[in-house]
Parts: sequence; C-alpha cells; structure tokens
Amino acid sequence: MASGSAPSLIGTARKAGSDARVRNRALFVNFFKRELVTRYLGSITGLAWALLHPLALLGVYHFVFTTVFRAGGFGGRSFLLFVAVALWPWLAAQEGLQRATVSLAGYAGLIRKVAFPHELAVYASVAATLTLQFFGYLAVLVVLAAFGEPVRFEGLLIAVPLWLVLAIALTGLALLLAALQVFIRDVEQLLLPVLTILMYLTPILYPLTLVPEGLRPWVAANPFGWLVERLRDALLEGKLALHWGDAVALAVALALFGAGRWVFRRLSPHFEDFL
Amino acid sequence: MTALLALAGVGKDYAKVDSRGGRVRLVRDLLAGRGAAQVFRALDGVDFELARGESLGVIGENGAGKSTLLKIVAGVIQPTRGSVAVGGRVGALLELGSGFHPDYTGLANIDLAAALLGVAPAEIAAKRDEIVAFADIGEHIHDPIKHYSSGMVVRLGFAVATALDPDILITDEVLAVGDESFQKKCMAWIERFLAGGGTLLLCSHSMYHVQKLCRRALWLKGGRVERYGPAAEVTQSYLAYHEEKSASAKQPIAATQAAATGVYAIQSLDLAPTDTVAQGGRLTLWGEVFSPDGRAPVVLVGIVRADGTPVYGVATDMDGVQPRRVAPDRYAFALTLPSVALLPGKYFVRAHALDPEGVRLFDNVERPLIVTGETREIGLVRLEHRWDEGQDRDLSTSSPD
Repeated sequence: MASGSAPSLIGTARKAGSDARVRNRALFVNFFKRELVTRYLGSITGLAWALLHPLALLGVYHFVFTTVFRAGGFGGRSFLLFVAVALWPWLAAQEGLQRATVSLAGYAGLIRKVAFPHELAVYASVAATLTLQFFGYLAVLVVLAAFGEPVRFEGLLIAVPLWLVLAIALTGLALLLAALQVFIRDVEQLLLPVLTILMYLTPILYPLTLVPEGLRPWVAANPFGWLVERLRDALLEGKLALHWGDAVALAVALALFGAGRWVFRRLSPHFEDFL
Repeated sequence: MTALLALAGVGKDYAKVDSRGGRVRLVRDLLAGRGAAQVFRALDGVDFELARGESLGVIGENGAGKSTLLKIVAGVIQPTRGSVAVGGRVGALLELGSGFHPDYTGLANIDLAAALLGVAPAEIAAKRDEIVAFADIGEHIHDPIKHYSSGMVVRLGFAVATALDPDILITDEVLAVGDESFQKKCMAWIERFLAGGGTLLLCSHSMYHVQKLCRRALWLKGGRVERYGPAAEVTQSYLAYHEEKSASAKQPIAATQAAATGVYAIQSLDLAPTDTVAQGGRLTLWGEVFSPDGRAPVVLVGIVRADGTPVYGVATDMDGVQPRRVAPDRYAFALTLPSVALLPGKYFVRAHALDPEGVRLFDNVERPLIVTGETREIGLVRLEHRWDEGQDRDLSTSSPD
C-alpha cells in the first residue's frame, strides 16, 4: 500500500503547504483549459464569435453615432478608436461577470463529490474570458492601426497594467456574484439589465465632456469610467505618466477582491447543499 | 500509526430554507458567521476510530446520514461540529462517477481526477493506460461522459479511484451498477486491496457485503451512532431491529418492502457435482437459509443466462414444499434437475430467500454455471421436438379458397 507519507488528498485545509499549492495550480490549469476549449475552441464559430461580437457592436455604434446622430465632441479624435479602446474592456468585464456568476453550476458534479477549493472554478472562468478578450483587444488595435487610425502603442505600458487592475477587481466581483448566485438565483437575472444600464452611464460611447456640468462628477465617480479615461489617455494620446489615482484604483481593486473572496469563503462550505 | 481515521463528536447541520426570503436570510446569517437559523441535523456526535486495514461498513436506513458521513470523511463537506483526522490517501467513489465532468471525455476526466487528487501530470501519464485498461470501455474513452451508460461511468470511476493506491477507499452502493464481469473484477480488486492492508469504508444496504468485506460496522440511525463494533454483531442487531420494526408496525407489505434490508438470507449455495455440467446431465443445487424467527422461509431458485435473461425459476411454495429445518434458525434446500435442458454456454444459478409468506425478497446469491456440449442448436434450452416426415401442409391446415 502507499506509504504513510503520501500526500493527503483531503482538500487544502488538512494538508497545508506546497502540496496543496501545486495541486491547486494544476487544477486551475485544467479548469482554465477546459473553459477555453468548451466555450470558444470547442465549436467552430466560438472563437470567431468571441471576436465578431465586439466588432459587430463597434460597427453598429459607429453607424448610429457618426452617420445617424452625427455626434461630435470627440476632440478631433476618431470615433472608432475612441469607442474601441473602451468598449473591449467593458465587454470583457460584462462577459466575465456573466459567465463567472453561473460558473459554479458547471462544477456542481465536482463540488458535490470531490474536495477542492471552489474559488478555482471562478478564477478559471474569469481568466479564460479576460485572456481571450485581451488578445481580441490587441488584435483590434493592430487592425485599426493598419487602417490608419492613430493608435499610440506605447500606451500599452499603461493599458496592460490597467487590464490587470480590471482583472483583480473583476475577480472580486465575480467571486461575490458566483457565491450569491448559488443561494439566490435572481442574481443572474438581475445582472444583465444592471450591466446594460451601467454601460450607458459610463462614458464608453460618449466623452465625459459631453455630459452636462452638473452631472459630470456623478458620471466621473464611476470607477469603470476612470479606467476608460486612463485607457484613452494612454492609447490615444500616449500619456504614460502615473498619478495618485492609479494607486487608489489598485487599492479599490484589491479591496473588491478581498471582499469578494471573504464572502465566497464564508458561503462556499454550503455550496454542496444548494447547487 | 494507530488510527488511520479518527472522528470525534462529528456533526453536520444542513440549513433548512423554504422560501426565497429564507435564502436571503440564510446568506445574511452565513455572512454574519451565525450559521443557519433553521437546521436539519444530518449527523450528530459521531465518534469512531479506525485502524489501518480495519474496514468499516456503514449501515442504516435511508436518510440516516450515511452519505453525509462518507462525504465528511472524503473532505467534500466540512463538519459543523467535531473533528476529523485522516492519516492517508483517500480514494472516494461517491454516488456515480466520483466527480466527473459530463462534458469531458473519459480521458480528459482521468486527467481531471488526477489533478483533483494532486497527482503530478508526469505521474498520471503512466497511470492513464492502467486506468483505461481496468475500466475496459473501449473506444468510449474518447467520448464525453454524458453519453456513457451508468455502468460505464462506474467502471471508469472505480478504475480512477483505485489506480492511485488509496489507503482508504470510500464507496457507497456503486458496485451494484456494473455488469457481472465488472462486479467480479471490482470484488477481486477489493479483496486484493484488503489483503494488502487497505482500508475500505463501505456504505451498503447489503448485509452480505458488509459482513464479507468489513471487520467493523457502524449503524447510523437518525444521524447518530446506534451501534459500532464487529460487523457480524452490528449487522445482526440491525437486521433484528428491522424485523421488530416491521412486525410491530403491521404496515401493508408494500410499505415495508423498501425499508426491509434483509432478514432471511441465503447462507450458502452450492452446485453438485460441480459448476460445470454437460448438456442433458444431472445438476443439484443445494444450500442453507438463515431464518431469524425460526419460521420456514420460501426459497426461490432460478437460472439466468450470463446477460441476465431469466431462463427458469421456481420457488418452494409454488411446488408446495418447504425447506428442511436443520437448526433452530437454519433451513436447508436441495433442488435437482435430472436433465439439464440448457444449451451449452454460461449461465448463473440464483437463489433468493423470501419470507415465509413468499412476498418479500431479501437477498440474491449467485453462482456461475457452465453447460458444456456440442450442438448447433440455437437459443437457451432444448425443447422436446420431432420432425414429421412427408406431411402435406394442405392436409393439416385448411387452405384459403
């Protein structure tokens, strides 16, 4: 029989240290691959759709805002680039949250029968979405640049860390929503309308300068709006300077992650009974 | 190490929620660290220690907390109270499938299981072939699990759970699902595992299996330990409890049927002269039945083909006979087939013990039977027949005009 020193298989709680970390890493990689394969690569259209959906939206917004409404106020900047830079992170966040919220249901069979840290399922879900959307983002920037849009690629020095901050915050929110969804099924139903409303309240399709003076502080208080402004400054203007707001954003993201994980860990021992 | 497994005062509460509002309140209570306001006590005050090589059978009625206990030992759920100490590798086969993902193929699930068990990827590559060979489900290993039959899932589950040399193997009734040959393979593996010092934690309604495989038994009743001790003693008192319960309840038979887990039991079944008989040869089936109340049980004996197709069955009460009493609680039976009409092939002889009323069927004991011979006839049995020469069909049947 196996010797007494064989690694414990009973969850992380009973065997601290590196064994558990190695196992959790392998498990995360396994879940992450599965998310990519079953979601995007499993179907022929999956991967194409992941890129086509935001492209189609971008095209529609372009048509509506520049041809129908003839909106101005972009400060001489290209509407396409102006929207693309902000739209992709938003769609990534939206898809990431929606998928992660229901992600635990896909692991119900495992959660009921095997001991493992349930949060790995949420991490894998968010990571798969963000990874794919981030590469889509880069691809679109390259394509727009190829068509003569003035993309400032040095802005990626700021944009990439911003995506990481987004990922941290998003993971926190995803942990919170996924845990609540197990008990309260309405979370999933409420999420889409809330996200849609938030999208129009965020200066994604319009610049903050078009918002009436009195309302501007309210709109500007939206953390996602802050992210969008920073991305535009970096990728459209090439502004690379850091300022104190970045530290605040990172702190907020870490706080969200901490809070989300705290809620998740409080609730996760009871998932088995409610999934 | 003395105790491989030690549980002290283990209890598990499940939250009871009846409405949507209840769920919101539950989340609030859990976040506040208060625990649920209304709970169902699935387990309470379970203490036991198990030494290496000491197998444990967990018995009890439906809803007694058996699965909850197994899940706690497997680490799938955390106990609400008490402590659990496990000093070895655990392989668990809970319900069907030991935590497979339905969308994964069999092979991908093997990798997933390996990752879940903390096996290094390099190590699992070597194990994979072994698992595939043991599961023996052919090309299906490349199909998603959701397309598997329940038997195939169990085969793969058993192969995975056992491939990683567990110190403790936890399993519930899953062994009843696989087909005959796989069940034999599982039993052979388990016997080897036990002989090699492995520890089995078996949750079963089959007292036969518990007595055969386990040294100790734990009887759970309403989430509490009713009795813990040597398997034979605990199973006997469990069976006695059931007998008492069904006698005092005087419920209609249909209602007690599900609860009854066996009182009258076939204790032995032998084939004479051997388990191989020539076609047309003589075969005697004999055995003994245990009767807890001393009344003569009904014995049903039958023959099925290897795939389970029934060929013939007959019970003592159908022929108006009774098994012969050989001890106060023991009856013997013997059935002779002077000329076995079965065509050559593999069959099973089955014997069941029924209550004296011949209504409740308690157990199922099976022995393989090989019928030898050379014939080109088709089917299961040779029917008496005769070819008649030169008969004109028109003479025997009326012709349509």
